[in-house]
Amino acid sequence: MKIAILLSAGRHPVSGAAVLPRLEAQAIRLAAGLGQHIGLHAGPEAAVVAEALGQGLAHIQHAALPEEADPVPALATCLAALAPDLVLAGRRGQGGAETGIVPYAVADRLGYPLIPDIIAAAPGEEAGTLHLDQSLGRGARRRVTIRGPVVATVHPDAPASFAYAYGQARRGVIEPVVGALAPHPAPVPAVEERPYRRRPKLVKGAPAGSSAAERLKAATGEAGPASSGRLLVRPDPDEAAREILAHLRRIGVLAAPRDPR
Amino acid sequence: MTRPRRDPRAERAAIRVPDRDGARPRYDRSARRPGGGRPRRDPRAERAGQRVAGPLRLRYDLGQVAPAEGPVRAEPAQRTAAPTILTVEAPDFLVVAVPDMAGGRLSAHDRQVLGAARILAGREGGVAVLAVGAGAGYGSAGADRLISLDDDPDAYDPAGRAARIAATLAALKPRHVLFPETLDGGDLARRVAVRMREPLFGNAEGLSPTGLIRPARGRSIEQRAAPGLLATIAPEAVAEYAGPPREARLLPVEIDASMRGAQEITQEILSAIRIPADPATVPLGLAEFVAAAGNGVTDLDTFRRLVAVLRATPGASRVLCDAGLMPRQTQVGASGTVLAATCYLALGISGAPQHLQGVAGCEHVVAVNTDLHAAMIERAGLAIVQDAQLIMPALLRLLGQEAGDPGDAA
Ligand SMILES: Cc1cc2nc3c(=O)[nH]c(=O)nc-3n(C[C@H](O)[C@H](O)[C@H](O)COP(=O)(O)OP(=O)(O)OC[C@H]3O[C@@H](n4cnc5c(N)ncnc54)[C@H](O)[C@@H]3O)c2cc1C
Ligand SMILES: Nc1ncnc2c1ncn2[C@@H]1O[C@H](COP(=O)(O)O)[C@@H](O)[C@H]1O
Repeated sequence: MKIAILLSAGRHPVSGAAVLPRLEAQAIRLAAGLGQHIGLHAGPEAAVVAEALGQGLAHIQHAALPEEADPVPALATCLAALAPDLVLAGRRGQGGAETGIVPYAVADRLGYPLIPDIIAAAPGEEAGTLHLDQSLGRGARRRVTIRGPVVATVHPDAPASFAYAYGQARRGVIEPVVGALAPHPAPVPAVEERPYRRRPKLVKGAPAGSSAAERLKAATGEAGPASSGRLLVRPDPDEAAREILAHLRRIGVLAAPRDPR
Repeated sequence: MTRPRRDPRAERAAIRVPDRDGARPRYDRSARRPGGGRPRRDPRAERAGQRVAGPLRLRYDLGQVAPAEGPVRAEPAQRTAAPTILTVEAPDFLVVAVPDMAGGRLSAHDRQVLGAARILAGREGGVAVLAVGAGAGYGSAGADRLISLDDDPDAYDPAGRAARIAATLAALKPRHVLFPETLDGGDLARRVAVRMREPLFGNAEGLSPTGLIRPARGRSIEQRAAPGLLATIAPEAVAEYAGPPREARLLPVEIDASMRGAQEITQEILSAIRIPADPATVPLGLAEFVAAAGNGVTDLDTFRRLVAVLRATPGASRVLCDAGLMPRQTQVGASGTVLAATCYLALGISGAPQHLQGVAGCEHVVAVNTDLHAAMIERAGLAIVQDAQLIMPALLRLLGQEAGDPGDAA
């Protein structure tokens, strides 16, 4: 199986230093168990993705583009030439606009289906099919069987990336894509930028337009279930057990009893 | 527990003597003062009502608010008129909200998206909710119109659904369309954006009729733009709609027959099976329901059986982990795992601050402890002051009976 991994130029969220985005490092790990894999980056500099070599990627293709060009047409052209069975990308970039639209645009151009937020991948029983496990949050997953080629984005719950190995980084190669790729200017979004300002999170449970006293109650948990808390002092154990089960069922964490006959 | 608040002006006006010469006001002070105005608490009467009868010394039951004797007038019952339903007959424009409707219900995040749509719609616009399948409560969440998308809510075909949504939006021509920034909602929004060739303003954390704000570059900057056609709303960013209910009238949409792709299904997807989380192996931080044991639990075998039967994820306090009775990865608290569970069942846990930090995010807490004054009892929504070694077998017995297991029913 042939796998292409889309590598973007990431920035560390705290220091701002150039790093390989975490999700793309996890994508390398997912691909390592599946077959032959190759990295793909479209951008002005190849050095920014060199870290991926040390994470176990032996081979990276680099499509040189000017700074402000749209990477999507170049990525689609390279992928069409590579003809992989699976294209892996991060669910969001890191350190850029973080819109997560690039994989969707690439899949749309290639006419491939897209499966978002995968945490595991395995080849299917039939040739040319794949089992992709999608995260649904809270540990639940959806196993999608799909006929390739397919674009998939990686969720943070996927297995952690391999450790960086210096020897691998030395052995790996970054090869420029031959053939001129016409740079398309990216659509300039009409946004105004300014330093980030933290906004207060909504206080859960406080109705909009509530008074300060109500917000304080909601924040300290007094307004929640604790305010109406039930206290049973020295109850009969069976009675208490019935109360607990009824309470758990009201909340919805415990399934209702099977039909009581 | 209120007594009426005095309104001196009204009292004086009531005892004013109709004047004969009009030279100066005269009052009849001999009359009894009439009551009126806002109700007011009477702490003395409340306190007296809490007094526990007993010969030796004064005792008060502070947990209850008992009616007090004396001339305490009840708060005038507020007449709750049936809430009138707000209607927008001919909205100038539409703002469409596309909720996730996980499990067929509006989630809190879905309602926040409807609240955001309400803000963008203002007085002139109308909010339309574009929902798959039947659902309820759209009107009270702020929707003026309901567009029912003809789609199978259980089938997994996001590309097909995005195509149908895009076709509906093309026919409807709304001014804004909002999605929740969740796994499903964010995915759908990006598919619709790519399909309609429209830019998407993702993960908006701030919202006003004139601008949306989103974080970028690892939250070092924020980007602001006027609301465009498509946007996704971050969780806990916008308040839910709190006004009077709206009508959520069904709005039929004629999808142009020439809109290709409105009926397409993704041929490549061969099957999609939902695998529920296995509570025994799910990481503690992701678990939905955690049952934890503390130093008050000595019978750990029963505890483990109970956890398995309840289909909960096992947790423990630090004392048990330090003693090697429970594995370290089950430790809940500041130096263990911080939970995001819906429900936390604490058996024999005192509720030290370091432990409670890990439970802070849990919506519901059930505590069993022999100590009435334990912090865990105070935090719990259902607190049971009883020996955990008696409660655990009782729970197992009851669950066994329910499952119709004749062995345990005896
Ligand atoms: C730096 C630091 C970090 C820490 N981090 C953590 C952490 O991450 N997680 C954590 O849990 N702790 C942590 N601790 C420890 C914490 O302070 C407490 O010591 C610990 O949580 C107490 O655990 P416990 O409630 O199980 O035990 P105890 O405090 O011994 O409480 C036992 C409770 O069980 C009740 N009980 C006794 N017998 C029965 C019975 N038969 N039936 C029912 N109830 C009974 C008692 O009334 C009592 O309330 C930390 C401490 C420090 C200093
Ligand atoms: N210039 C690029 N070259 C290769 N892959 C990219 C590029 N930009 C984005 N990607 C991929 O698209 C994902 C989402 O990026 P973004 O849409 O920028 O949030 C990233 O995790 C990468 O896998």
